[in-house]
Amino acid sequence: MIVAEQKKLDEIIRMIAPYERVLILGCGTCMTVCGAGGEHEVSYLHNALRLAQAKGSNGTHTISEYTLKRQCDTEFLDMLAGRINDVDAVLSLACGIGVQAISERFRQLPVLPGVNTSFMGMPNEWGIWDERCAACGDCRLAETGGICPITRCTKGILNGPCAGTKNGKCEASKDMDCAWVLIYQRLENLRQLDSMRRYYPPRNFRVIPRPRRIVTKATVAGGNNG
Amino acid sequence: MYSSATERAQSQLETRPKKSLSDHSFMPPCQVACPLHMDIREYVDLTAQGKIMEALQVIRNGNPFPSICAHVCTHPCEDACRRGQVDAPVAIRALKRFAVEFGGDRMIRPEADTTHDEKVAIVGSGPAGLACAYYLRKLGYPVTIFEAHSELGGMLRVGIPQYRLPREVLDTEIHRLTNMGVEIRTNARVVSIDLLLEMGYKAVFLTIGAHQGLKMGIEGEDSPGVIDGATFLREVNLGLKPSLGEKVAVVGGGNVAIDAARTAVRLGVEQVKVLYRRSRAEMPANEEEVKQANEEGIEIMFLAAPTRIRRRNGHLIVTCIRMELGEPDAKGRRQPVPIQDSEFDEELDALIMAIGQAPQAPGNFGVRLGKGSTIQVDPVTFTTNRVGVFAGGDAVTGPATVVEALSAGRRAASRINDYLNHRYPLPEKEAGDSLSGDLHPETIEAIRKVGRFEWLTTAPEARAKDFGPIELVYDWEAAINEARRCLRCGVGAEILSQDKCATCLTCLRVCPYHVPHLDASGSIQIPVDQCQACGVCVVECPAKVIALRKPHDRRHIDQELDHILQTAAQSNAKPLIIGFCCQYGLFGTGTLAGLWRGAKGGISIVPVLCTAKVEADHMLRAFEVGAEGVFIAGCGEQCARENTDFWVRQRIAKVRRTLEQLHLEPERLQCFTTTATSNGDIGQRLEEFAERIGTLHLASIIMQEVRK
Repeated sequence: MIVAEQKKLDEIIRMIAPYERVLILGCGTCMTVCGAGGEHEVSYLHNALRLAQAKGSNGTHTISEYTLKRQCDTEFLDMLAGRINDVDAVLSLACGIGVQAISERFRQLPVLPGVNTSFMGMPNEWGIWDERCAACGDCRLAETGGICPITRCTKGILNGPCAGTKNGKCEASKDMDCAWVLIYQRLENLRQLDSMRRYYPPRNFRVIPRPRRIVTKATVAGGNNG
Repeated sequence: MYSSATERAQSQLETRPKKSLSDHSFMPPCQVACPLHMDIREYVDLTAQGKIMEALQVIRNGNPFPSICAHVCTHPCEDACRRGQVDAPVAIRALKRFAVEFGGDRMIRPEADTTHDEKVAIVGSGPAGLACAYYLRKLGYPVTIFEAHSELGGMLRVGIPQYRLPREVLDTEIHRLTNMGVEIRTNARVVSIDLLLEMGYKAVFLTIGAHQGLKMGIEGEDSPGVIDGATFLREVNLGLKPSLGEKVAVVGGGNVAIDAARTAVRLGVEQVKVLYRRSRAEMPANEEEVKQANEEGIEIMFLAAPTRIRRRNGHLIVTCIRMELGEPDAKGRRQPVPIQDSEFDEELDALIMAIGQAPQAPGNFGVRLGKGSTIQVDPVTFTTNRVGVFAGGDAVTGPATVVEALSAGRRAASRINDYLNHRYPLPEKEAGDSLSGDLHPETIEAIRKVGRFEWLTTAPEARAKDFGPIELVYDWEAAINEARRCLRCGVGAEILSQDKCATCLTCLRVCPYHVPHLDASGSIQIPVDQCQACGVCVVECPAKVIALRKPHDRRHIDQELDHILQTAAQSNAKPLIIGFCCQYGLFGTGTLAGLWRGAKGGISIVPVLCTAKVEADHMLRAFEVGAEGVFIAGCGEQCARENTDFWVRQRIAKVRRTLEQLHLEPERLQCFTTTATSNGDIGQRLEEFAERIGTLHLASIIMQEVRK
C-alpha cells in the first residue's frame, strides 16, 4: 500500500494562501489506511486551519471538506463535479497519483498536495510504517528469500552483505536490520543458501523508461469497450 | 376517546422503552432478565456520573414502586449481569436503593386526571394490584382497590417481614396512590364478582395472591404448635406476637421459610432451625438472605424432612428422615430420596411449615382454576373465563416475586385498557435486538477486575433483636464506584458502513479488549456482545466510520463548546481556560468541581463521559473558540477502562505538534490525572497551569503591541 505523511501545517498554509475557497479532499483508500488523508485527517486539518485562521495567520479562507473513496479514478472524481464550482482550489490529501488525476480531470482547477507521498510499505505496529517495495519493475524476491535488498538495504546492493554489517545491523543505523543478514537467515531456514553463492550482475536502472505504462488489454479490431 | 393525557400515559405503559432513530443499542441481559424490563444500564450509568436525580427518573419510568423493589427485589438482573463472568455482578438493587434514598424519591408526587368513565375494581392490594391501580389511574380510569385486611399491601405487608421492607416505605407508596385518586376500601373482602359488576365496575382485576399454606400430608400435622409459614408471618406482621417457645424448626427452603425463621429469632426464640429436604445448591431462597440467616444464628439442616409429628408433655416430637439426592426431575432439580432407617427425633416447641402456598379463590367467583388452585388466564390478555374479569400476580402464577407481580400488574393495566377501548390487545413491543452470549476469555482477561463494593448491614447481634431495617445504604463514593463497574453491554461500537470502511485494521489494533476481528470474507467485525464501549476505536478510526450505538458524546461535546463560547463572550473573563473533564468517578462526585472554582482565571468545563472520547479535533476547537489553555482531566489509574491515559496522551502529543507549527506554546495543552492513591495535587497543578497560561497570555499581548 502507498504510505504518505501529511505536510507541515505552515507549508499547507503558505500553499493555500492565494485561494479563498478551499476544498480539503480526502482519499478513502491508501491514505485512510496509512492515516495521512482519510476522513479523520481531513477533519483534523480543517480544524487546524480554522485554528490558524483564528490565531491570525495570513489570509482568510472558506474551507470545506469531502472524502472520496479513491481519487485515482476519474469516475470517482466525477462525483466532485457539483462541488468544485464553489471552490478556488482543491487541497488533496491523496497520494501524488490522486493529485494528478484531479489536475487531469478538472483542467481549470488548481490542485495542491496536502501530503508527501513517501513509499510503498506496511505497518510494523500501530502508528509505525515501514517501506517494503521500490517498484523497480524487475522483482528478484524469489532469489532473496522474499526479502527485498533494493528497498531494505540502505545501499540497495544485489550482492550482500557489505562490510558495513555488524551484529546483524546496518552501519547506517544501529536500529536498522541488515537486509542481507535477514536474507541469509531466511535462506538458511529454507535450505536455499546456494542462491547466496551466485553473483547478480548490477542492474541498469537508467533503461527503465518513465513514465511506465502497462497494457493489459489485447488490441482487438472493432472493439470500443474502453 | 384519546386525549393527549392518555396517549402520554399509554407511551409510559409500554413495557419497553422507545428508542431514538440513531440508537442502535442492544438490550442488555439485565434488562432482558428484569420482568419490568427496566433500563438498568441507563440508570447505573447515570449513577456512575453522580446524576442521582436523573437516575431516579429513569427508575421511576420503568417501575411504579421503585422504593419497594429497592428493598426486596430478588434482582434477576444481577443473576444475568455479565460482570459476574468477570468478577461479581453489579449490585443493581443496592444502586437502586441508593438512587431512591439520595435522588429525592420522597418528593415525587405523581398525579392523574380522570379521563374515562369506566370504573375498574381491583380485588387485592398486593404488588400486582397496586401496580395495576397505578397504571390504570395514570391512564385516567377511576380505580377502586378492595382489600380484605385492614391495611393495604398484600404480601408486601403480611408476608414480607418489616426488617426487609420497612412499613414507612410501603405506606409512602400507598399514600401516593391515594393522592393520585385511587379509591381504597380496606376490610372489604370481596365475596361476589357479580356484585362488583352490578355496582357498575366495567372490569375486575383479581389479584388475591397465594396465601394458603400447603400441607405435607404427614401424621400429626394438625397438632397444636404446628403453624404454616404464611399464617405465622401474617400474624406477626399484623401485630400479633405468637409465643413459640424456645426451640422452633421451620420446614422448607424458600424465601418464606427463611423469613419465618428470621422472624422467629426476632420474636426471641432461642434456637431456630430450618429443615430442608435438598442441599444448599437446590435451595430456592435468596443466597444473601440465607447468609444473613446463618449470621443470626439460624442453623440450616439440609437433606432432612419431617415424617411424623407427635405431641408429648407440651412439646412436639418431630420424627425426621435423612435424604439423599437422586435423579434430576423435569425441571433439572435433583429429587430427594429418603434414606432407609435414618429416622431421628427432634424435640421442639413449635414447627412452622413453609413448604409453599396456593391461591384460594372463592368458588362462587366462577373463574376457572388450574394447577395448584391458580386462576387460569390467557397469558397474553390476562382474561379469565369470565367477561371483563382479569387476573394476575401470585393468584395466577403461584408464589412468585414482587417484581414479577409488578410486571403482571402493569401488563394487565394495559390489557384492561385495550378491553375497555374495545380493541384487540396490541402486541407486546419488541425492542429489537437483545444481547446474549458469554464474554470471550480474552475479553474477560482484558477487563480490569474490580470486586463488588459491599454496602453496610447492621451487625447480626444488633439486628436479630428487633424488626428494624437491617440493610444500610451505600455512601456516595461506594455507590459511584460500584456503578462504574457496569460493562455497558449492548452500547458498544458499530461500523456504520462496511463500504466506507477501508479495513485499515486500526480498530483491531487499538482495542484494549481484543474485540474487533476479521471475518472469513475479510471484513472487520465488532461483535456487539463483546464490545466494552470504551470509545477508543471510535476516535481513532481514520475513516470516521465507527460510532457508539448510543451516540451522544460527540454532539454533546460540540454543544458544550458552543455554550462555553457564548458564555465566555459575555463574561469577558480572560484568559479563558477550557477543561475536558471526566464525569465518572471522583469527578462525578464534584471533587473537581470544588477545585476549579478556586482556580484563577475563567475556567470552563466540558463534561465528558471518559476522556478516551475526547478527540484531537475537540482540543483544536477549544483553542479555536478562544481558549488560551486547554486541559484534559481524567481518572488515570482509577479509570474503569484500560489504556485510556495512553490514548489521551497520544492525542495530546499530536495536537501539541500542531500548536507548535502555529507558534503556540505546546504547554498550553495539559493532561491531569488522579492516581489511585491521591487526587490531592490536582487543584494545585490546575492553579499553576492557570498561572502559566496567564503569563503566556500577557506575553502574547505584549508581542502584539510590539509588532504594531
